[in-house]
Amino acid sequence: MSNVAPANPLEMIAYNLSNAIEDGQIVYVGTGLPMVGGILAKKTHAPNITLVYESGGQDPLEGDMPWSVGCPFTFRKSPMSMEMAISFGQCALGYVDIAFQGGAQIDMYGNVNTSVIGSYENLKSILPGSGGGNDIGSLTEKSVLVGLQTPDRFPEKVDFVTTPGYLDGGDTREKAGLLGGPSAVVTQCGVFDFEPVSKRMRIKRLNPGMTVEIAQACTGFELLVPENIEFVEPPSDEVLRILREVVDPRKVFTKFPPG
Amino acid sequence: MGSQYTNQDHMKRLVDYRDAREFHLRKDRAKRDKRISLQEAVSEYIQDGDIFAETGFSYVRSPIQAYLEMVRQKKKDLIAIGSPMSNTSYLMAFGVVKALHLSYIGVEMRGNDKNFARCIKSKQAELLSIWSHGSMALGFKAAQLGAPFIASKQLIGTDMIKKNPFVKVIDNPVSADNSQVALIPALFPDVCIIHAQKADRYGNAVIEGPAINDIALAAACRKVIITAERIVPEMTIRENSTGTIPFWYVDAVVDLPYGALPGSCPGHYYWHREWWEWLVRIGTPDLDALNDFFDYWVFSTKDQFDFIEKLGGARFINTARQQMEAAQANVDDSLVNFDYQEVIPKRD
Repeated sequence: MSNVAPANPLEMIAYNLSNAIEDGQIVYVGTGLPMVGGILAKKTHAPNITLVYESGGQDPLEGDMPWSVGCPFTFRKSPMSMEMAISFGQCALGYVDIAFQGGAQIDMYGNVNTSVIGSYENLKSILPGSGGGNDIGSLTEKSVLVGLQTPDRFPEKVDFVTTPGYLDGGDTREKAGLLGGPSAVVTQCGVFDFEPVSKRMRIKRLNPGMTVEIAQACTGFELLVPENIEFVEPPSDEVLRILREVVDPRKVFTKFPPG
Repeated sequence: MGSQYTNQDHMKRLVDYRDAREFHLRKDRAKRDKRISLQEAVSEYIQDGDIFAETGFSYVRSPIQAYLEMVRQKKKDLIAIGSPMSNTSYLMAFGVVKALHLSYIGVEMRGNDKNFARCIKSKQAELLSIWSHGSMALGFKAAQLGAPFIASKQLIGTDMIKKNPFVKVIDNPVSADNSQVALIPALFPDVCIIHAQKADRYGNAVIEGPAINDIALAAACRKVIITAERIVPEMTIRENSTGTIPFWYVDAVVDLPYGALPGSCPGHYYWHREWWEWLVRIGTPDLDALNDFFDYWVFSTKDQFDFIEKLGGARFINTARQQMEAAQANVDDSLVNFDYQEVIPKRD
């Protein structure tokens, strides 16, 4: 028996995010768990990836976990910094392979809300706003959505579309003239993708111990379920050690329960 | 979107490239010593009702000490814009900002800024238009390029476009791919303050590390104040050709070491992480707490040096300097410890 504690739900999210990254890719990294996932990938299976950041840092030297996307660790001896408009321009130009996006609500077509619960006219709560989310999600070839999955946070339709997913499903995103699109969703339940024709969210792999019933109970719409359910291979002791000792040793983003 | 505090003139002025051009044509061309005090610069160049652009990246090379001086001087009725614009939150609380073109207000993972929600819910401040970082950045960039607008693929298909009266979506008229594009107008705020690592007395300025939108904003804004970490001889900038803001854009130069505190300034100091957690987690949950917070940090300080005393004085400055040097890999990592005690307020 291993004496390494199994991954907590946030560590599983970071691990699944890291596995969405292939070696050699250029990765647009946002704040929080995507940062953990990106750095974990670089320190494990994908040492040759290049990390780029919204605040302008490009390909920084490895260092401590950034406290923010504007942290000096995002431009630590980087060969250059780019202005914000130009850094996002790379996503449209086809130089960025994968990006990550979190949100207060994610719906069945992968649309993301980071703006408002309710409406601006009838506010329940106001959220920080798009930031770079819309830009990344409109322009990047593949975006991976990340969130804690509950029926409220995964409604059939988001209250407000901040970042476009597959809009109303089918070919509506393509017809709108948007580039790329969401390729996966990573939550504490596991990994989801989008069915190629309807563009509805579908279970791809469940985390160890998870069931279709639990995943469905965490969701505000009907998940598509494949015939054979696959499970995520749990992270090895070595990956967990790197995550805990090297990537996020102060548990800035992977402490569970958070706060 | 709101119209309680603003009128159509404000909305037109933001995208009026002829008006911005006329303003720039009338600006003083003289290469003269533009140094004045922070108090004078804020008093003279930030006028009530101005469209005011935030610069830097919220807590990275942002002119926060100048923003605090705006609060002290009780500036009012400004219309804020910027990407990001997290400092606009407290400017709303103290009546400095009455309306905003929103991209992002928050401190990322450090918690919800409840003051922002309170100001909007209570209609103390109103939202005028909704943007993403990148689309707003393109608006500033279009202004810098002298282009009336830029066509992009951002904002399309979203609800943001319904809350943005400036951006128009059309079918691409010039490409074989005639799919939709968003026309993002050049954006011309009235005024911005830019904190630069180096400036000479005339206003030629050097930005080190990420410039975010500041080079574009210096060109776009009608009025520009530079607060400088160091005032350097003109020859220093000439020798290296590292200037990105020319003196003729600049109205005032303020010698303001530590002007980005409690945020960070690349090459100089790391941020005070706890301060930002104090602000969002302790300062913003209710108005009394925010007033107390500003009484302590702003209304009972007169300048950045008083502020530094409250952050821990010379010891804090030394730590912040070492941390920035280590983060930028200019000193050995082992000399500096990035451990800190995250601020977690006690819950009842």
